[in-house]
Amino acid sequence: MAAKKLSKEKVGEVLQELSKFRLITPVKSDDVVIFREIADPQEAFLDYGNSTVPPKKVVFPQTETLFRFTLGNPELREKNVEEEGTTVIFGLRPCDARAMSIVDKLFSWDFEDPYYLKRRELTTLVGMACVQPPSINCFCTSLGGSPFGKEGLDVLLVDMGDHYLFQSLTEKGGRLEEMLSSYLEEAPAGEEEKASSMEEEAKAKIIRSIDPQGIPEKLPSLWEHPLWKRVSDSCLGCGICTYLCPTCHCFDVQDEVERGEGRRARMWDSCMFCEYTLHASGHNPRPTRKERTRNRISHKYSYYPKRFDVIACVGCGRCINLCPVNIDILEILEQVVEA
Amino acid sequence: MVDRNKLRETAKEIISREDVRELIGYRAGTYGFRARPAFVYDPGEVDQLIFTPACVNNLATYITLEEKLPVPRGQEPDLRKVAVMVKGCDSRALIQQMAENAYDRDRILVIGIPCTGVVDMDKVQARFPDVLGPGEIAQEGDKFVLIYDGRREEVPREELLADKCRRCRYPTPLVYDVLLDEEVAPFASDDYSDVEALEARSQDEKWAYWEEKFSRCIRCYSCRNVCPMCYCNDCILDRLRPQWIRRSVDISENTVFHVARAYHLAGRCIQCGECQRVCPVEIPLMELNRKLYKDVEELYDFEPGVKVDAPPLLSSYRPDDPEDFIL
Amino acid sequence: MKNPYIPYEARILEAWYETPGDRCIKTFKVAFADEKVWDTWNHRPGQCAMVGIPGVGESMFCISSSPTEKGFLRFSIMKVGKNTSAIHELEAGDTIYVRGPLGNWFPMDEWKGKNIVTIGGGIGQAPLRPVIQYIRDNRDDYGELTVIYGARTSADHCFKDEFQDMMACGDCCCHLAVDVEEENWPHFVGFVPQLLMEVSPSPENTIAVTCGPPIMIKFVLQNLEKLGFTPDQIYTTLENRMKCGIGKCGRCNVGHIYICKDGPVFSYAQIKDIPEAFA
Repeated sequence: MAAKKLSKEKVGEVLQELSKFRLITPVKSDDVVIFREIADPQEAFLDYGNSTVPPKKVVFPQTETLFRFTLGNPELREKNVEEEGTTVIFGLRPCDARAMSIVDKLFSWDFEDPYYLKRRELTTLVGMACVQPPSINCFCTSLGGSPFGKEGLDVLLVDMGDHYLFQSLTEKGGRLEEMLSSYLEEAPAGEEEKASSMEEEAKAKIIRSIDPQGIPEKLPSLWEHPLWKRVSDSCLGCGICTYLCPTCHCFDVQDEVERGEGRRARMWDSCMFCEYTLHASGHNPRPTRKERTRNRISHKYSYYPKRFDVIACVGCGRCINLCPVNIDILEILEQVVEA
Repeated sequence: MVDRNKLRETAKEIISREDVRELIGYRAGTYGFRARPAFVYDPGEVDQLIFTPACVNNLATYITLEEKLPVPRGQEPDLRKVAVMVKGCDSRALIQQMAENAYDRDRILVIGIPCTGVVDMDKVQARFPDVLGPGEIAQEGDKFVLIYDGRREEVPREELLADKCRRCRYPTPLVYDVLLDEEVAPFASDDYSDVEALEARSQDEKWAYWEEKFSRCIRCYSCRNVCPMCYCNDCILDRLRPQWIRRSVDISENTVFHVARAYHLAGRCIQCGECQRVCPVEIPLMELNRKLYKDVEELYDFEPGVKVDAPPLLSSYRPDDPEDFIL
Repeated sequence: MKNPYIPYEARILEAWYETPGDRCIKTFKVAFADEKVWDTWNHRPGQCAMVGIPGVGESMFCISSSPTEKGFLRFSIMKVGKNTSAIHELEAGDTIYVRGPLGNWFPMDEWKGKNIVTIGGGIGQAPLRPVIQYIRDNRDDYGELTVIYGARTSADHCFKDEFQDMMACGDCCCHLAVDVEEENWPHFVGFVPQLLMEVSPSPENTIAVTCGPPIMIKFVLQNLEKLGFTPDQIYTTLENRMKCGIGKCGRCNVGHIYICKDGPVFSYAQIKDIPEAFA
């Protein structure tokens, strides 16, 4: 579909129009950028680098109900995701959308996860290209992504100065474009070429990189390598890298009961926590941070690609930016390559 | 400023000792001006060690963080010393850990570093977002000097200094086996103005304030894991039988998590500020901890982490206590 | 497609203790509350199910009954933690929930015509029982059946009545062991790997299936190799902590394999090069 022009002055009205759905945009909570449902278009903060918590939280909530029950009554009341209604995530970065496509593969593998997949179906992704890489630790281009990447998005917006170039990429995107047609105009001539050269400029600004060629095959052979102890010595065993990673998707399942009413819920879990693989018998096959770090990197860069043909990392750089002890996945991968 | 050669020589001597297993210090980070923990096992590895105002981590936490695995039959556990570099605030963590009998004094070798203040890395990064580096920070008088890519930028110390350093009363380590520099006299005092501002708010204001903060919490547990005083093998917040706090993340559980942890630290928190530094969603945890710290000081005239032989405040009992029952 | 997270309601038909002690083992025979579930339920020896109680939680257990045993499922559960303690409180008539069948299964069809040796220790006999039962119920399809089983003491033996029955019947060779000398114990005294060497089954056209504590498996594998078994003649089951059972939550992985999906049944050939399998 031909690209359209969306004047920046009209964005407020567009958001107003979209707020009839569950509209989620980047917002500022104090100085922290997160994705949250907005009621007032003024809350949207679109001129941002990248959010701290990725928008995976929208389609894969940190806590969600699987089913409810009342003690003493055998009926299990399944949570109906349809009730959440159509959702639009407006202004996410291409890496975060690409990450969702990567995680889709697991949630539809063999058993279909009805909660995640229904939510994905109900969600339209309107992305914002990165004219500047949000951080020096971005490396999306090393892994098949791009600051202007289209994979996973339904619409891509490119900031051209006083307006956005609005490109719908999928059927869902097309439906959105139609809905918003009164706010959209013809794009000026040559805009798409201009956007292309802006993409090349943005890519050139990405400094850090890794060549992933061969890493998935090499990792299993490094099982006993001393590098794992070295890189994990300073690890605190917290969940920052996993929780802020747009491709991480591990979860725990817990039952909660209060005054006779209960639910089985699932919530994010982290393979870096020591109880992650703790058996009821007390045995733990990954007792220290070394084993867990080795497992995490191997899972993302070897086990996942072995099964789904794609590395479970999009190079968003959050883990590097926010690890409190500066454990750096690019440094680890460089050591893997050199080992 | 700590002389780098002296630091490395001292480290080399120490790690060469037969009774020392590892040395925990600082080394350059991987981007920007960051510094990060260094684990040295061999004298040949000391050349990576540095100490600069970028060395923000509290390394005392690693003494209690290290996993103690069961030793295979026939083998003896490795009980050699762990050498650790600490600033003034960090040394208080060691003292409090020892006051609680987490380990004996002879298990550690303390390399004390009198500290004139560290930077707030968020402020540095906001100032210099495009620097990949490696960049280094030094202090010259009342300025921080940032060196990167052959350039040298001077920034007034005031603008980058970490908040906790502005009220630091113990810049020189209170416990050490070797001191790497001249003692630093306290250059600040603490008037608890931030706590008083918190106390002055109305109940509704306080609730709204903390609700915004706690609803951002993602329960990554980084605050707990980085805290040198949080080292229970079976943390109450992880337990399942009984389950004190659910694993689900919502304002109710998040609030209980933070308030419960703050209470567990009352009389034990030594104000290193790491919890607040590591929080990825910028929850001002020090405000909670400092409120309790101030209360403890006012009620009991007690400061944790200052005297090794001081019994822990809330877990010691004297026969002449006014309460006639332990609980 | 049915929501794979929703379990079936079931009723406990019978429940009894197999072994005593703190970590006692209790066997439950359960049947679905809704008879129609049997129409689509089709489990094979080796498969597992999530068994649990809403409000407490669920855990993965191997289905300890063969599909040839109609009208019920059996689970033998050791009391170790929160979920199993709650399940142990249940008796006949109580409600329990079952989700499954999950995981892969022993290739019983491939094994037709072969001799089968099962080597079990303690609770490890639970996943081997459906194999043995299946073979006994399809006796002519299989060669010799040798059952080697041991536990710490005779009280710790599971399925005591069934073993009595098997030793009396002529359709298989049963060898039992206890770890240390015991009064009135007429059979072998020693560890299961040692009993295996005593029995010394021939690898000729034979499949060995083993399940038990990791340390037992380690020596059983060594001994089987000494006896001439090749890695693809040896089968075992792996276990790990599980939550979803359907390959989504991520935690049961051993290397690149998910135990709940690619397992729990593996040939030794499949796992011998995965270091994490022997952690």
